[in-house]
Amino acid sequence: MKKSNLSVLPVILWLCLFLVVPMLIVVGISFMGRDDLGNVVLDFNLESYSRFFDPLYLGIYWDTIVLSVLTTGLCLLLSYPLAYYIANAGPKMQTWGLVLITIPFWINFLIRTYAWVLLLRTQGVVNNVLLDFGLIQEPLQMLYTKGAVLLGMVYTFIPFMVLPLYVALDQMDKKLLEAASDLGASRWKSFWHITLPQTKSGIMTGSVLVYVSTTGMFVVTDILGGSKSSMISNIIQSQFLGARNWPFGSALSVIFVITSLIMIALFNRALTSKHMKTKEGR
Amino acid sequence: MKKMRWAGLMLAVMMVLTLLSGCGSSKETLNIYSWADNFDEEVLKEFEKQFDVKINYDVFANNEDLLAKIKAGGNGYDLIQPSDYMVATMIKQDLLEPLNKDNIPNWTNISDTYKNPSFDPDNKYSLVYMSGVTGIAYNTKYVKEEISSWADLWNPEYKGKVILLDDNREMIGMALKKAGLSNSTTDEAQITAAVDDLKTLLPSVLAFDTDNIKQKMIQEEGWIATVWSGDASVIAQNNPDVAFVIPKEGGTIWSDNYAIPKGSKHKELAEKFINYMLDPEVSAKNYESIGYSDPNTKATPFHTEEYNNDKMINLSEEELSRTEWLGDVGEMLQVYDRFWTELKSGRE
Repeated sequence: MKKSNLSVLPVILWLCLFLVVPMLIVVGISFMGRDDLGNVVLDFNLESYSRFFDPLYLGIYWDTIVLSVLTTGLCLLLSYPLAYYIANAGPKMQTWGLVLITIPFWINFLIRTYAWVLLLRTQGVVNNVLLDFGLIQEPLQMLYTKGAVLLGMVYTFIPFMVLPLYVALDQMDKKLLEAASDLGASRWKSFWHITLPQTKSGIMTGSVLVYVSTTGMFVVTDILGGSKSSMISNIIQSQFLGARNWPFGSALSVIFVITSLIMIALFNRALTSKHMKTKEGR
Repeated sequence: MKKMRWAGLMLAVMMVLTLLSGCGSSKETLNIYSWADNFDEEVLKEFEKQFDVKINYDVFANNEDLLAKIKAGGNGYDLIQPSDYMVATMIKQDLLEPLNKDNIPNWTNISDTYKNPSFDPDNKYSLVYMSGVTGIAYNTKYVKEEISSWADLWNPEYKGKVILLDDNREMIGMALKKAGLSNSTTDEAQITAAVDDLKTLLPSVLAFDTDNIKQKMIQEEGWIATVWSGDASVIAQNNPDVAFVIPKEGGTIWSDNYAIPKGSKHKELAEKFINYMLDPEVSAKNYESIGYSDPNTKATPFHTEEYNNDKMINLSEEELSRTEWLGDVGEMLQVYDRFWTELKSGRE
């Protein structure tokens, strides 16, 4: 018992030093004031928090949540069939599927995002092909739009959804499906009542990974969105740099962490209760 | 089980990769902290040889990073290159050493235009290293009218093809200049009016961009844009259809400067370095390589004809006379920042 306690000590130390302590510093600064040179000064106040309720910042946060929920939903819709296919393929295909999904990650994320610029811009590959085939007369403006941002987000985070779903689908007890079909359940019915509830943990993990990563991402909005729409993380970054308002930036970060935790808890509860209902219905 | 581990491992590797992409000797060492690629490599090597020293060159991405690091204790840097407004901020916060001009006799080579700038009136703490002016770059293939004023950006013909710098002070400053006001006003009513004016430009804006604005203009994504003169020169070299003008209302001038932070252990060596860089021949070689305007008046004969004839690198006296430095706006920075957030998010 004692031995195992000792072995987790380095991890606990690491987390304390590099997660808990910095987080506490951020929380501390969020309650402080600043002088007109941007230095943080010891002056306890709640001004940074009340400033968040300015409709401007609330609106930006709302936009961020909408985009993140959309990205998560789209990732889930696109990933589930793919993960299902890989999990039910032969062993060789499974390995290949997983390798193909992870290969893009060997290339730097920024380079992959700029590749989308080359594809989507007015003199880009997509426009040139469409023009050559006479499908359009004028180049389409695809880049620097909200659609381009959504596309970039979904593209970036799809693997984060596929892998947890794959694990869940691979692990599930396939005998239950056989039993269901023996008892005359349709394929759709057995999917709805067996596969889906059994892969709940995968859906949960994937969704949390995608949702949290999307809310914290600002590079995609800058590169593919032309910096025209601000995400909450853009605002946090600018408070720490250009605006030199660390207390406000810290307060935004704290609010960001708390609301993300709430969203995850709500999502978790929604999934659990759905599962409960199916159980009761049996 | 094995496959699950593989999936888990890959997931961990991917997360780390995604998150990361956001980020000896006994000789005397000169520790430089500056922008990336800010000097010609050979010129630095030559200095190391001549003075038998070692140069240690670290880079920062923006002035705010520089300020944060110097405030945290300097990290042993001997020479830093803050921009104009950051020099003013650093002087206010008592972070800079006064320069000993006796060690920098070549400082008199600097053109009068760049001597005694408003952010450091007697050049007590800083000397201008390089400079540029924000103007309008436009592609003559698409823009047929003569461009002479900031108001031309508002022309509905260019709707969806205008690119603006992703910079709060620069762009609100531009709208202020358009209205004939100072780019650094602290009068909230003036700022509000300028921002309202900018809001009417928003439907025309293709993108806000500072780092990649060159590529966007070279690739003809945008037709007309607010661009620094040095960047305009690079764009024109790659796309000869692009022209550049300093609008009649005048533009914002900026500079990166030499300064020595408090706590430098090799102050004299840093001053010797500044003096070396201001030598006419060294200077010509250096600016030829980095492609920015050379403030050294004695260097002109050592430059190539091509460089001397580049009107975007060498702005005329008349153009420079219409420029204004961005001044420190103190507490009003918060107002500028909120307005900028408002503008970019398209909300009230």
